[in-house]
Formats: sequence, C-alpha cells, structure tokens
Amino acid sequence: MPINKKKTVDSKANQISLPKKTMLGLFDNLLKTRLLDERFRKLYRQGRFAGTYFSAVGQEATTVGPTYGLRDEDIIAPSHREIGANVTKGVPLDKIIAQVYARESSPDKGKSHPCHYGWKAKGVITPSSTLAGQTVVGTGCAMGFKIMKKDNVVLAFFGEGSTSRGGWHEALNYAGIHNLPIVYICQNNLWAESVPSTLQAGIEDFSDRAKAYGFPGITIDGNNVFTVHKTASEAISKARKGEGPTLIECKTYRWYGHSEIDPADYRTQEELEEWKRKDPLQIAEKILMDLKILTTTKREALVEQINQEIDEAIESVEKDAYAAPEEAYIDVYSEQFPVKRVDW
Amino acid sequence: MKKTTYIEGITEALDEEMERDEKVFLIGEDIGIYGGVFKATKGLLDKYGAERVIDSPISEVYIAGGSVGAAMVGLKPVAEIQFADFITPSMDQIIQQMAKMRYRTGGQWTCPMTIRVCCGGDIGGGLYHSQINEQWFFSQPGLVVVMPATPYDAKGLLKSAIRGDDPVIYFEHKRLYRWIKENLPEEDFTVPIGKAALRKEGSDVTLVSYGLMYHRSMEAALALEKEGISAEVIDMRTILPWDREMIFESVKKTSKAVLVQESSKTGGVMAEISASITEEVFDFLDAPVARVCGLDVPAIPFAPPMEHLFLPNAEKISKAVKNIIEY
Repeated sequence: MPINKKKTVDSKANQISLPKKTMLGLFDNLLKTRLLDERFRKLYRQGRFAGTYFSAVGQEATTVGPTYGLRDEDIIAPSHREIGANVTKGVPLDKIIAQVYARESSPDKGKSHPCHYGWKAKGVITPSSTLAGQTVVGTGCAMGFKIMKKDNVVLAFFGEGSTSRGGWHEALNYAGIHNLPIVYICQNNLWAESVPSTLQAGIEDFSDRAKAYGFPGITIDGNNVFTVHKTASEAISKARKGEGPTLIECKTYRWYGHSEIDPADYRTQEELEEWKRKDPLQIAEKILMDLKILTTTKREALVEQINQEIDEAIESVEKDAYAAPEEAYIDVYSEQFPVKRVDW
Repeated sequence: MKKTTYIEGITEALDEEMERDEKVFLIGEDIGIYGGVFKATKGLLDKYGAERVIDSPISEVYIAGGSVGAAMVGLKPVAEIQFADFITPSMDQIIQQMAKMRYRTGGQWTCPMTIRVCCGGDIGGGLYHSQINEQWFFSQPGLVVVMPATPYDAKGLLKSAIRGDDPVIYFEHKRLYRWIKENLPEEDFTVPIGKAALRKEGSDVTLVSYGLMYHRSMEAALALEKEGISAEVIDMRTILPWDREMIFESVKKTSKAVLVQESSKTGGVMAEISASITEEVFDFLDAPVARVCGLDVPAIPFAPPMEHLFLPNAEKISKAVKNIIEY
C-alpha cells in the first residue's frame, strides 16, 4: 500500500506504545461499529426501515481511531459514512438506530436521512448530503472556538472524492491562514461512488493537498485502528494547543456499494478480496491477541454483550412511533415565525 | 436625533451590536483594513480588533459556511457578501446548511447569523455589480430575507437580524447608501422582522414594493395624487416571511394592486404575492393584479439607456396604475 514518503508511520512501534486500556477501548468501538453496521444491512434487507443504507464496513478504523478520546465539547463534522465516529463519541445506540428508522425518538425527529447521524449532546453535527459541506461548517466551528478562546477541537471527516469540491479547498485554505484547531480526516476508500481515485485527482496521496495550505499532510494505513488513533491523537493535541490543523489521509476500502442499492460492479472481485484480507477488525484482533490483551473467550463475550445491546435497542426503537406528520412544520424557524399550514 | 444615511445606519447597527454583545463578529472581503468597499465597516477593525473584524480571503463558500459553523458553537456572525452578484458560490452553504440547520437537526443546532448582501442597480454597475437575486432566497423556507428602504429600517432591521435566532439574508441597496438621510433616535431601537410598513394611506390602489422600488413607488404615488388618484404605499421591509395581513387588508380596501420589483419579473417575489392575493382576497379585486418588474433578461445591462429600460421607475409604475384603474 502506498504510504507517504515524508511521514511514514510505523504501526508496529505505535501499537505497542498505546496504553492497554486505549487499545481495548478502540477495539470495543471498532467491534460495536462493525456489528451494528452489518445488522443495519440485514435489517434493510428485511424491509425494517425505509430508504437505503450507507455501510461503512471496511473503513471503520478511520472514524473510530480519531474519535476515541475526544471530549464531549469537541465537534465531529461528518459526512454519511461516520457511524464509527458516532459510536465512539458516545451517541447512544438507540439514537443511532432511531435515526435509521426515522422515528420521533431520532435526534432529527425523522427529518433528514437514514445515515445522517448526529447528536448535539455529544458534539456530532447532523450532516447534509452535499459532500464537503460539513468540512466548511466544521472549519467554521473551529474558527468559533478560536475566537472564543476555547481549547475544543473539530474533527472533519470526508472521502477522497470530497476533496475535489471548491468549498473543501476554501475551508482548508482558511484553516491554514488562521491556524484553526481542526484535524481533517480523509477516508480514501479508492472509490467515490463509482469513480476511482485516479479520476478524482492527479496525485496519489491526497494528503499532498495540505502542502498548498501551509500545514502538515500525512498518509497512513487507515485499516490499523491503532495507527490511526496514534496519528490523529498527536494531530488533535497539536490543534488543541493552538498549533494548527493537520490533514490525515487514511488509505482504506469500503466493502459494499455506495449504498445498499449499489451492486458496486465497477470494481473487481480481486480488489475487494485483497482489501478484505486487510480487514481492520481482524488486524486489530490479531495485534491484541499477539499482545495477549485479548483472548478468543473475551472476544466472544464482547460480541455477545454488544449484540444484546443492539437487540435491545432495536426492539425499543421499533416500538417508537413516527413523529406526527405535522412535525413537518416544526423547526423551520424559531418560534417567532410559525409556518403557515395547509388546510388539505 | 441626528441626520443619518442608510449606510451610516448599517455601520451604527454593527458597532452598537458589537459593543452590546461580544459574540458578534464580522467576516467578509475588504471589511477590515479597508473598511468595506462602500465603507460600511469603517473604523470597526480599529475598535474591535482582527479577531472580530475578519478580512477573509476571496472565499464566498467559506464566508457563508464558516459563519454557519461559528453560529453553531455560540457566536453571532455577521458576514458580508460584497456584491449580490458574487453570492452564487455561497449558495450550497446558504441553502443546504444555513437554511436547513434547525430543520435537519430536529432543532438541536441553530444558525443565528446574518449575511449582509450589498445589492441593486440604478448605479451604472453593469451586469455583474447590479444584481439582487432575492428571489432565490425568497423561495427557500428556513431563511429570513429582509431589505430595508430607509436609514431607520437599515439600522433597526440589522439589529433585529443580529439579535434574532434565525438565519437572515439582509439585502442592502447600494443606490440607497448615501441618497437619503433621516433623523434617527439616539437611543437603542429595533425594527421587527416580518412586519411591513404602511408608508402612505390611499383608497384607489395598493402599491407594494421594497428596497429602492419603495422610493420609486412613493414617487409614483405622489405624482398620481396630483392627478386625483389615491395610492396606498406598502414597504414590505421583510420579504420572507412576508406580512400577508397588511397586504391583504390593503387590497381589501383599495381592490387594486400594483406590485413593484427591481429584479426580473419571472419567478420573482411579486409573482408569489400576486398569486397569494388571487388565492386569498380575489373577491375584493376590481382589476387584475399588475406587476412592474425588471426585464426578463440575464441581469441589468451596463449602458445607461439599457439600464433605464430595465428598471421600473415612477413613470412606469404610474402607467401600470392608470391601466388597472381604467380596467
């Protein structure tokens, strides 16, 4: 896998330098994200919720790694494949599930979209679908923190495809000028829906883009959650100290289609198999077992416990009602400007 | 009381709100060192410093979207778009983030911010320095859209916009910046958003407009008065959400309406007002609703005779009034 020549991260050295508790915490969130994501795919096929579903299986380490250890007040500016950031930031499972099910109990009350997870209490912005949209907004949050002299940071997530958007460049340019407390996480999963990264940019490593904005760009193995966490944590503490932004490109891969209605027939089976051999969950498991931090028994117990949590949350959310249709009129404006209702 | 121009009203509102609330900050192109291309932010950098009066790079996407983010974490951004003509790059952030933030997050996150947009023709600005394009924002629920016509409203509406909890597009008309002066109270005042102003009472016809076109409508009304036609003149002030009650009540009284708008006619604000009058108070109408609008061409052309042809004026408005009175 191409790793940036300038700042190669030795994942072996890094994994060992992390505290045991951190490594287990990362694994726990990685596993929970995987089990929940695969469950959503199954539920979608059973017709248990409407619309479609955007799986992040294969690239979970890129969201779990950076998010682990953040404060509640730190902001996550996500796109649509950041289920791992939500799980790791501590958004409760029933909130995440209610979002997919569009229930009244969902943080957005069922208004936005199945995978537009967000919860203000944990600092996750409910995203829009316009790619790189939240990169701009997240940079604005970082500007706000700097103006208010708060030491909170922002994590902005996006795919390599989003880096082709003009707004993305305006945001990073601004962050570079003002040394904003933000870390940009590029999940380069090689495919922007059906367009390969070679048709997205004339560079191999998307972290090269940071050079133009005067802050460091690092390319790392996005499938090793410990490497991702270590690299992102360093960038986050730097940002928190007022030492400016970092762009981290995580090389990774999404196993399934852009959404569940996409058969992903634009890529080869060989490519998929090659990446499945680099499964972030198995990589993490192997490292932990080699270090004798995890055993098969412990892993099985963890799977059982998480599945039970997921079962309970699903059962509870499926009993929740949709919001009344008139909810459509609410939250257009503040209460000062009620929306005119139709009489049919 | 002191004589104040429209642009001085804007500067005073910014200054007083920044003084009043440290969460208010400004961001835009040339607004700091230069004090704004029209000098609306003159002196504010020296007074409040570079953290609160930010000279942005030429980045309209960021000016809008960065302000959205800052508003979400508790600040009160007032962004400036130097010319309405240059707002197009910001549209994604305005439409998909600013207008929908409260809605799409189920009311968890809000976007209390203001974008000041310098706009309008009749200044020889040419194709790319004369546009308003208010209809694009008017058709996006979630946004508040205002356009003051007087120094009093310029100051009072901007203060309301900054103090409010909703995202506001505040159009300020360049032709009005230094044209009219008005005695403004020394003490603090605001102008409520969502309320039109009844500028002149009349019985024969209702003239509805906003911005520069309010002044053209008033000129027409005064000229018509001499010919024995009594026109009621409403200055909308807030375009979205608009004051339905005042407009409907007036039309019920006069039974005739002429709607005046500087931007192109098709799909404009007055198309909606006209349709709503027809839906709500049709029985009171004695004549079809008339519209006097900018031409349906891409924007206001540069050469003076073409700009003159494009723009509504008192003469064109009077003619439209006489046409429906004779109906």
